[in-house]
Amino acid sequence: MSRPSASRLSARDLTLAYEDRTVVEGLDLEIPDDKVTIVVGPNACGKSTLLRALGRLLKPRRGAVLLDGAELAGLPAKEIARLVGVLPQSPTPPDGITVADLVARGRQPHQKWWQQWSEADEHAVGEALERTNTAALADRLVDELSGGQRQRVWIAMALAQDTELLLLDEPTTYLDVAHQVEVLDLVRRLNVERGRTVVAVLHDLNQAIRYADHLVAMKDGRVVAQGAPDEVVTTELVQEVFGLSSVIIPDPVTGGRLVVPGYSRQPSAATAKTIAR
Amino acid sequence: MSDLEATVTPRLRPGGHAVLRRGRASFLVHRRAAVVAVALAVLLACAVVAYLCVGESFVAPSEVVRVLFGRPSPDELVVGTLRLPRLVVGILAGAAFGVAGALVQTVARNPLASPDVIGVTHGAGAATVAALSFNAVAADALPYVSVAGGLAAALLVYVFAWRGGLHSSRFVLVGIGVSVALGSLTQLLLTKGDYLVAQQAKVWLTGSLNSRGYEEAGPLALVLLIGLPAALWAARAQRGASFDDDTATALGVRLGRVRLGLTALGVVLASVATGAVGPVDFVALLAPQIARRLTRTAQTPLLSSALAGALIVVVADLLARRLFSPIELPTGVLTAVVGAPYLMWLIVRTRSRSGGTPS
Repeated sequence: MSRPSASRLSARDLTLAYEDRTVVEGLDLEIPDDKVTIVVGPNACGKSTLLRALGRLLKPRRGAVLLDGAELAGLPAKEIARLVGVLPQSPTPPDGITVADLVARGRQPHQKWWQQWSEADEHAVGEALERTNTAALADRLVDELSGGQRQRVWIAMALAQDTELLLLDEPTTYLDVAHQVEVLDLVRRLNVERGRTVVAVLHDLNQAIRYADHLVAMKDGRVVAQGAPDEVVTTELVQEVFGLSSVIIPDPVTGGRLVVPGYSRQPSAATAKTIAR
Repeated sequence: MSDLEATVTPRLRPGGHAVLRRGRASFLVHRRAAVVAVALAVLLACAVVAYLCVGESFVAPSEVVRVLFGRPSPDELVVGTLRLPRLVVGILAGAAFGVAGALVQTVARNPLASPDVIGVTHGAGAATVAALSFNAVAADALPYVSVAGGLAAALLVYVFAWRGGLHSSRFVLVGIGVSVALGSLTQLLLTKGDYLVAQQAKVWLTGSLNSRGYEEAGPLALVLLIGLPAALWAARAQRGASFDDDTATALGVRLGRVRLGLTALGVVLASVATGAVGPVDFVALLAPQIARRLTRTAQTPLLSSALAGALIVVVADLLARRLFSPIELPTGVLTAVVGAPYLMWLIVRTRSRSGGTPS
């Protein structure tokens, strides 16, 4: 049944459901290799659910996720964890764990009972701390960190896992805008410098346009459009996916597309009262 | 990684660990946990000597050591035949309770959890009281009845709590429900039953080392011996189980299998220990928490939990024997005196934590 697949990670006729609520139905998707793919869509469109299935955190009701042509469900858990890293939306750390310990846990799929801390482990954890700018926090307790620091530590753990594919579910949540840009720049660098294939779910459409090589727009559990952001993003698409009228202008920084919501802001109560008088 | 780089950058390792490397093999040793384990072992050794010295008649420590090392001694009868078997059962049962508590608390991700919570103690209690009431089995088969009861109750909890996966809070809640039901059943049997049987059952239900010896120690030692390699596996598996489900799965942990394995091991250890000495309350709850507070590790240390459990039982039984001599208290009364206030403190603290102010 394994058709030759163009990319390493793909979904075939994928149906995903929680209990008896179907979220995604009959979805086909190829994740292009060596690119940054970003999935956007309104709340509850199934984008996080899709990401969970791609990272085998959720078993498909029907269809399959294929990794290098083999069904994910049939592969050993540890082997998958050495190839695909996933950062879930709201991870919970073990009680009383330090930053260095947490990041070191990312090495778990590479370790055996007689290989608990190899040179490779040491190297990967050190690099993950450096890249995410968290080396100075190494001895702090994760519970004591701010939301932004904590998110960077989780990303460091996913990096330490050292996988060729990296799936990130809303990695910029809890971060202020400067840290959001920092994380997205980091994702971009991982792709360029280390050749990582990245799939991320993002809320911010303009950030998605700026950082994606391949944009996937979802609505009601279906893929509405996909491709290079500059070809895919149109006012019609924004209307169809988000139900929002908008104007698209050139991004003054990148020259790409920038979506400006089209509704004018309602006057404030103060202004309205002045007018009434 | 080049040698130059290794000398320039400070060596990185998980906090507080020493690394032992030889060829491709490498091991992590938590320094503080190692020190704590050694300290607990020394304390246990002191408690063992004290336990064997003190009694109806006092035996000098030097004689105790002679007996322990198999040298001829005039006190061999008192120390080797009367006191030692009871002590051995106490150490084994305490260690088993300690490890069982550590495993169950890890799976439940809750310091309040213990084998009592997942039905083992009450299952063992109900089965034993039922066997006594209906005079169903011979007296020397009672420990086996109790083990069967504990296992059956835990299995019941597992089946009820399973809904496509094992969720820790559902597991604890179902466990409490089943425990209460079995506890009521025990009370019913005691109330309806014969007075003498009730008297006998009551002693067992408090948990006591009185007149326990090598007969009870045998099965317990066997289970601990088989459980030891399993515990080595558990110590590694625990690491994965302390995350939320999604993160653990992302790290390649097969959570269902790990939780089932850890729970099964904990339940077997707690059941067999309960079968041997009855439900000695709070040991399984206290020992892992004491151990973890001392080692300050991210997961509950199994070795230190075992040592702490053994230490608690030995000291409690020593006090139980001597405190109101010649009247002897059940060991379980002593552990309850320490354990109950601790449990209340834990509940109050947990509530004030979740009630708002982040610490």
